Amino acid sequence: MNAAPSRWRRLAIKLAQHASWVLPGAGPWAEAMRHELDHIADDAAALRWALGGLLASYRARLALSRCFRARVRLRSVGTIGVLMLVIGFALVGHASGQPEPLRPVFDETACDLPGVSPEIRPRLRCGTVSVPRNHDNPGVGRFKLAVVVVKSAQQPSFSEPVVYISGGPGGPLTIYADHQARTPYAPSRDLILVDQRGTGRSEPKLCPELDSALLDAALAVATDPSDDALAKRRTVYAACRAEAVAHGFDLKDFGTSVTAADFESVRRALGIERWNVYGESYGTTVAMTLVALHPDTVRSAVLDSIYPPDPRPMHSANVADALDAFFGYCAGDQACAAAYPDLAATYRETVSGLARAPLIVTVPPEMHLPDDQVSLTSTLFEALVSRLIYYPTAYPSLPRLIATVRDRDSQGLGKVLSSALAAMAAEVNPSTHLAVECRDRPHHRDPLPAGASVLDRLQPYGVCDDWSEIGPAPLVPIGTAVPTLVLAGEFDPVTRPSDSQHVAALIGPNARWVEFPRIGHNVRAFSPCGAKIAAGFIENPAQSPDTSCADRAAPIRFLPK
Amino acid sequence: MPRKPNSSRQTRALLAAFLDRSQIWRHGYDLSKETGLRSGTLYPLLMRLSEQGFLESRWEDAERPGLPPRHAYRLTARGLALALEQEMEVAVSDRAGATA
Repeated sequence: MNAAPSRWRRLAIKLAQHASWVLPGAGPWAEAMRHELDHIADDAAALRWALGGLLASYRARLALSRCFRARVRLRSVGTIGVLMLVIGFALVGHASGQPEPLRPVFDETACDLPGVSPEIRPRLRCGTVSVPRNHDNPGVGRFKLAVVVVKSAQQPSFSEPVVYISGGPGGPLTIYADHQARTPYAPSRDLILVDQRGTGRSEPKLCPELDSALLDAALAVATDPSDDALAKRRTVYAACRAEAVAHGFDLKDFGTSVTAADFESVRRALGIERWNVYGESYGTTVAMTLVALHPDTVRSAVLDSIYPPDPRPMHSANVADALDAFFGYCAGDQACAAAYPDLAATYRETVSGLARAPLIVTVPPEMHLPDDQVSLTSTLFEALVSRLIYYPTAYPSLPRLIATVRDRDSQGLGKVLSSALAAMAAEVNPSTHLAVECRDRPHHRDPLPAGASVLDRLQPYGVCDDWSEIGPAPLVPIGTAVPTLVLAGEFDPVTRPSDSQHVAALIGPNARWVEFPRIGHNVRAFSPCGAKIAAGFIENPAQSPDTSCADRAAPIRFLPK
Repeated sequence: MPRKPNSSRQTRALLAAFLDRSQIWRHGYDLSKETGLRSGTLYPLLMRLSEQGFLESRWEDAERPGLPPRHAYRLTARGLALALEQEMEVAVSDRAGATA
């Protein structure tokens, strides 16, 4: 039974082994072909089987690697030649024992993006990059990611472009290509935009029919974070999960480590040796992981409004600190202090007033809410203010808004509320958001912490255990050699400036940390000074940037009462 | 007119083989013998049909000890629908040929 295998069988085994090295991804399919060999009794049939598998593997590899195909000019070589070459390889054995990772491909398509103006259009290259659903097991299917390359307005451009990694998690990006092209991160560098898996125009859509139900459930929790509302939210998420699983999606195929691997695939598909990574908000989580895992591919990194991995303070504590800083600024500003003395007390008074009796606010019919009305409860108001503090554009009117609600004047509130809700809906895909957060952040599996407020209840506590297992933790590139610039807003409700500074210290001596007064979350979008510093840093990462403009930020021009 | 996807002779032969015993998990070599498709043709088809959700696959322990596990395949509900549709088309076109 255990007689030594014949020469032909040994050759067949070698060929099959080589086929599994050659086959893209070397997933279960290569293994399947190889194992099948042992079930074929006849040596000649086994050899035919192995040869066929080998040819199939090379065909699959060549089909994926267009560049290779172009270079080799396969047609002139001929099948017999390839076959001889292949057998030669197999007999010599595979030097490294591991397959060379296959270069993924950028499939260029027409740019069917909304709102692209005629002058920007010629600068855009649109397409997709197909990535394995599971990078460790590439045989189990793929997702197509939407990718847009924005050619630099100034030509020729430098070879090391900027990749902008947007936030959320779950936020779309490529549909904003026109806006991104108009506000370049660095002159003379191309800009790469990617819709992360499960967002924007990229695959997959986990439960597209339930996205609006998920947003409704979130609004219901914000309005009244009762156990009933929380139970309803759990039900909608369970339905979403069931739909995703029924469509064959594995919820383990999400999370920052997967997204970082996707960006690596995109980089290789575009033939980029090194790029400059610009992460914003959740994008910093991805950027930090990318720098930690692939430092040789990153020329420089900008972390704008950092969202560090767990453990983090409770969300409500971060928001409270941001509001305190804002109220403190108002107290120190002559006009604000005169019009709104003790704004912090006014805010507390407003919240307790709404807790006693909510304010009915009429919203525009486009919101499709019952009777075009929203009941502005204390919790919804807190959630609203915690969003408004993100945006410096909201600061001049924020004290007046608080005072208006305190005085129970609902006029004009409808527009603010509806635009905040619309922004929330447009900002993230709720199912992808959950899919990533549940993989990344263990704290969602803890019981609600003591002292939790509605803002914490809005976080996915009590949902993740039924959603997916915890995944690999996002990373901080401690001690990296990659030059890194960390930008922090004074009123950032996601991460306190002091915590951001702490992360910068962890990253080490190659990280430079800059705080921007009177800025919230997302520095570059709201601070021309931040944009200038970032651009200068990307131009010359070795040089310490001139950050003096941050200290000359204009004061907030508060609206009068 | 572009050709319908998954309508090549080889794909049809493979789907027909699956349809014959649609409840049974099939192995690569058996399918190869039954359809006459060589491994180099068979596996790319199996991969494509799996990626498109027409086939499901699983690993099975070998029937005899000492042999490696085998990859086995079966039609999914979608795959069954596709295979049936193609069978029907064959039946209809055969009839059309007969009356012409």
